[in-house]
Amino acid sequence: MTGNAMPKIEVLRVSKHFGAASSAPVLSGVDLACAENEFVCLLGRSGCGKTTLLNIIAGLVPPSSGEVRVDGERVTGPGRGKGMVFQQNALFPWLSARSNVEFGARRSGLEKQAARRIAEELLELVGLREYGERYPGQLSGGMQQRVAIARALALDPQILLMDEPFGALDEITRLDMQAELLRVWSSRRKTVVFVTHSIMEALMLGDRVAVMGGGGIASIHDVAKDRPRSRSDPAVIRLHDEIWQGLH
Amino acid sequence: MRDDLSRHAAVLQGAGFILALLVAWEITSALGWLRPHSFPPPSRIAQGAWELAVRGFPEGVRVWTHALATLRRIFSGFVLAMVLAIPSGILIGASQTLDRLTHPVITFARSVATLSLLPLVIVWFGTGELSKTLLIAYGCFWVMLSNVIAGVKYVDPTLIRAARTMDTPGSEIFTRIVLPAALPRIFAGARTALGVGFMVIVGAEMIGTIEGLGALIMEARTFYRTDVTIVGMMLLGVMGVVFAIGMEALERRLLPWHRGLSEVRR
Amino acid sequence: MNPRAADALLGLGGILIVLAGWELVARSGVVSQSVFPPPIHAMVIGLRKVPLPDLGGHVWISLQRIAFGFSAGALLGVVIAVAGGWYRVFGNLVRPVVEMLRPIPPLAWIPMAIVWFGLGEPSKVFVIFLGAFFPVLTNTWKGMSNIDATLLRAGQTMGLSGPELLIKVAIPATLPDIATGLRIGWGLAFGVLVAAELIAAESGLGYMIMHARQLGEVEVIILGILVIGAANLVTDWLLARVLANWLGKWQDTTRAE
Ligand SMILES: Nc1ncnc2c1ncn2[C@@H]1O[C@H](COP(=O)(O)OP(=O)(O)OP(=O)(O)O)[C@@H](O)[C@H]1O
Ligand SMILES: [Mg+2]
Repeated sequence: MTGNAMPKIEVLRVSKHFGAASSAPVLSGVDLACAENEFVCLLGRSGCGKTTLLNIIAGLVPPSSGEVRVDGERVTGPGRGKGMVFQQNALFPWLSARSNVEFGARRSGLEKQAARRIAEELLELVGLREYGERYPGQLSGGMQQRVAIARALALDPQILLMDEPFGALDEITRLDMQAELLRVWSSRRKTVVFVTHSIMEALMLGDRVAVMGGGGIASIHDVAKDRPRSRSDPAVIRLHDEIWQGLH
Repeated sequence: MRDDLSRHAAVLQGAGFILALLVAWEITSALGWLRPHSFPPPSRIAQGAWELAVRGFPEGVRVWTHALATLRRIFSGFVLAMVLAIPSGILIGASQTLDRLTHPVITFARSVATLSLLPLVIVWFGTGELSKTLLIAYGCFWVMLSNVIAGVKYVDPTLIRAARTMDTPGSEIFTRIVLPAALPRIFAGARTALGVGFMVIVGAEMIGTIEGLGALIMEARTFYRTDVTIVGMMLLGVMGVVFAIGMEALERRLLPWHRGLSEVRR
Repeated sequence: MNPRAADALLGLGGILIVLAGWELVARSGVVSQSVFPPPIHAMVIGLRKVPLPDLGGHVWISLQRIAFGFSAGALLGVVIAVAGGWYRVFGNLVRPVVEMLRPIPPLAWIPMAIVWFGLGEPSKVFVIFLGAFFPVLTNTWKGMSNIDATLLRAGQTMGLSGPELLIKVAIPATLPDIATGLRIGWGLAFGVLVAAELIAAESGLGYMIMHARQLGEVEVIILGILVIGAANLVTDWLLARVLANWLGKWQDTTRAE
């Protein structure tokens, strides 16, 4: 992306340790910048701190040192400018699927009627139109995750933070959802930080893929390819191997 | 680090608050703002405790006598209930027919407030020890029974299936799978039952005796000794806590593999 | 036959067996029928001595006392627990006080209730209040401290904070625990009723049966016991229905897992 515009998200020398200050840090001096409307994928082994970093960007967890800026302003807390899809199910179990999505839409400032319409649209988008009346407990794990995505989209945030959102989905639905996400992203233009542990998923989605390791960003890979991308594209395969080697 | 700090802060705040309350209580009493009969100040209560321990109330019946009488009654009623409820609960829980046959009766018997039986047991068995023991046993029994039944009935079927795949004979499935799996729930029942015992005993001791903490607190009030009443209440509370802790320790001892006590109580 | 009908039939059979056994023992002459009357007989005589309108009056009074005490206890219990769970300092201050008072059985407060409130209605309501207050409080508090942090975070990412987060996320997430507390509290309120009505009452089911003991009317006592049990059963069932309605469907679905 172009270098001269101000980045949408800036992660500046962010470190994080849990518990005593002497304990080994989960993150140490992470730097990352995401341009407006950029799609950045965070890749890394389990436990390397992806969720932690995302939580810090969201403002849910304060960094031990360093800071995160959005539009040049320091992040001090969460807010609806930054929507988030959580790794665990975070739907409100006391609301039906539709009401969950509506909740997000209402938070974005819409009137009841409009919120309802948006909720319908988004449920349709994630393929759950008939399931609007169901409660989260009555949906499968993958369906719940799709509702959660719809809820985050209903918020219509400028920044969308997604923590392994497709982790619970089967391969087929996962591919469908990837395509849908790209469609939404290209039509609504959002800055997306997308955590995944699938190299291929990262390569199908991201403008850039940031590989995490050793408490920081180990390497960043540009995926200069138009979408939709093909898994058998030689350039994609080359990047895949490159990242794979780097992770070992 | 920060967690430790906030825990210390919590304890300090809590202890400080209680201390402040006690001091305020004492001072307002000294100033005559609180009537000493309605709210005997801490110093008066301490005096009452001392008197209760040394001279007794009524004169000669000392605090240990009261506490022991109460404990003995709770204990005998509780044990009686256990002895009856555990085998019958296992039997009912293991048989679907028995379970369905007894379900409404047990539900109703549980709904009968134990203390409402007080006048009946007095008519039948007088105001002596037997009546009190039976009342406590009644309260404990139904709580215990329904927990034992549920424990046996709701054993995770996967466990049983797993045992089947290992060719475990039926009798062994019962003794080695069903019973151990039901134990946490049985323990939970025992703890609830003990709570019921403490609740019932006070009511039971309000009639026909001068021994026991329930009798003590009522007697003390009629003699305008609310300080002694409060000492008795505190003792009941302490005994309840000690028993609850004891049961928990016992459970940890006997069921080392079972950590989540709270998971089974629903 | 469908399993539900079979359940009902077998259950009815169980009740009949108990009644028949009772009838047989009572008629066998082992004990005098005036002390151990057969069930139907007891009901008939009991109703003759305390006619239906009188009985209804006692039930009504008792239910009123329970309703007052329970509502006050439940309301205060929820408010304190929600505030204590949400506002840390308040929680730190109140929790130890509550933990000190909680183990004292509600009935043990009767003498002090008489000292504070006299022999009238307030002291009875106070004891019932205590019966409901502590279970509601502890269950609500437990629910507040066990809220899934992810739910709160989800709320935060949607721009909720402060009291809004409390009302829109924390309290709804605690509702199942509040409901559990309410049911336990209702049961305990019933449990202490009779003892509460021992406090110089002139009416109510507890008074009715204690008075009957003085008159030696065993039939009235038995009738009273059965009515108390039935009233508890019916109202608990109603409460469960109301709560289920109020929680919506989601609670069953999460419990089933
Ligand atoms: N609240 C916490 N307290 C203590 N340690 C934590 C906490 N949260 C995370 N950690 C630790 O920080 C490290 C990184 O956790 P994080 O959840 O960020 O990993 P992740 O990369 O998202 O892993 P996964 O792919 O499995 O989700 C882990 O070692 C974890 O144990
Ligand atoms: Mg993670």
